Amino acid sequence: MSSKQFSVNSFQFSVYFRRFTLLIVLAVWSFSFVAQINYDSWRRYSPPKLLGVDYNVYIEPQPLSPSLAKAVSFGSTEFLADYYWLALIQYYGGGTPNGKYRKLAELFNVVTELSPKFQQAYQTGLIILPGEGFPDQAIELGEKGKRNLPDSWEMPYYTGLVHHIYKKDYVSAAKEFQIAAIKKDAPPITQYFAGIYYKEANQRSLAYQIFKTVNETTKDDFVRERSAKQLVHLEMVFFLEDAVAKFQQQFGRYPTSQQELVTKGLIKEIPISPLGVGFTINAETGAVSEAKR
Amino acid sequence: MRKVLWAITLNTFRETLRDKLLYSLVGFAVLVIAASLLAGSVSLGQDARVIQDFSLTAMLVFLLIITYFIGTQLVFKEVERKTIYLVLSKPVSRETFYLGKFLGLCLTILVAGLIMAVMFVIVLFAKTHSVPTAAYFAAGAVILEAWLLTAVSLLFSSFTSPLSSAIYTFGVTLIGHGSATIWLLSQKASPVIRGILEGVYYLFPNLEKFNLRNDVVFNLVPSASQVGLILLYFATYTVFLLILGVAVFRKDEF
Repeated sequence: MSSKQFSVNSFQFSVYFRRFTLLIVLAVWSFSFVAQINYDSWRRYSPPKLLGVDYNVYIEPQPLSPSLAKAVSFGSTEFLADYYWLALIQYYGGGTPNGKYRKLAELFNVVTELSPKFQQAYQTGLIILPGEGFPDQAIELGEKGKRNLPDSWEMPYYTGLVHHIYKKDYVSAAKEFQIAAIKKDAPPITQYFAGIYYKEANQRSLAYQIFKTVNETTKDDFVRERSAKQLVHLEMVFFLEDAVAKFQQQFGRYPTSQQELVTKGLIKEIPISPLGVGFTINAETGAVSEAKR
Repeated sequence: MRKVLWAITLNTFRETLRDKLLYSLVGFAVLVIAASLLAGSVSLGQDARVIQDFSLTAMLVFLLIITYFIGTQLVFKEVERKTIYLVLSKPVSRETFYLGKFLGLCLTILVAGLIMAVMFVIVLFAKTHSVPTAAYFAAGAVILEAWLLTAVSLLFSSFTSPLSSAIYTFGVTLIGHGSATIWLLSQKASPVIRGILEGVYYLFPNLEKFNLRNDVVFNLVPSASQVGLILLYFATYTVFLLILGVAVFRKDEF
């Protein structure tokens, strides 16, 4: 091939190029567009094994560690917190095709480290983290929220809910609700809930005291009515426990039912709780408990 | 002297306006409005927060861009086009010339900053129907910071090329905003390094003093003494930079 021939071809090419510049640019751009879309959907929807990773790391955010994030924010910590907050919402709202939201707890941690008084972030974290498999991290977040927002009733309240729903730890839940109840603007029902949790944890005398205070101090009609019923209910429990103890002293064994207490003359009739639940007596331990509905 | 200073100031202001400055304002407006529209749909009810943080950070970034790109070229251009001879051959001292350049760019930054602040307040008010008092303080502090960095960029541009002085000024910005990190590092280091780092901490401007942006979301209005200290720090540090800059500029040969 002579150099002359080459220069002619090159010239022809430049003529064509000049004539169809716009068309060529558009064509090349649409190729890149199609390639981009294919690449994105490949990353997003392929099973992780095909991508050569355990989890789909391509669609999850990779937040910096809190201390590094603080250093590179150069003072704009609230701005960076907002960035991670938006990233978090996108991440959670986008759905995770493969496994769980691994980075969720980490993101909530970064956001609240960058913006320690970001109340909505704590609340959202306390609501969604436990359900996504991070109950311990949620409780940690709640503890941090309690430290950074000492005036907020929401922090202990939501933390208590995590203890109740995901940990079945009623005593801890009750303690959180008692903390929440004395904060400003706490809903009147908060302390009532504390009583409920103590009752659930079988700490009945503590529950009784709380219901009594609630009943005497609340300004909310509904809460007063409910706590009065709880008091009557607990008084019945105490009454039954008393009767069971006397029965045991007399007969050397526990009664099998409430009916037995009536027939032996220890109580006049089977009590009916204003809460609409019956009672059962465990014949082996003598424990009085609410009948399962 | 005062008349001459005012003339140079006003001329510098006009010159910077011709420098496509308006584009940065358009960029700012687009960013703020886009952020506010976006925020409503994706921030889980945190619109006010996102608008405030994004707008104030954008305001700082755009004002600093003006400082970097215009501030570093002001004196250089005059020298390159040789127009500086025309000015200095008149009864105008070098000090007046330098100071006029500084004040002119400060005026530009003030005007641009005020326009941005107004846009920000309008968008915020339209979206949330309230503007926290702390936002005005934060916006004011952003302008003060840009003014201080203008003095820095003028100082650098009096002895290096525009590109390198833009890079140096950017470096000073990063160091200034990383001052908390530098202090933290210095407290953990060995005595010698600690001395060096503490020296760096006190020598470079502590730009975090002008950072009231993180308090806007919680509407924490700075106390009078805090505002007083910020103004005092700004005044002393800027005067220090200007004296240094004038001293260098006086020795320059064109």
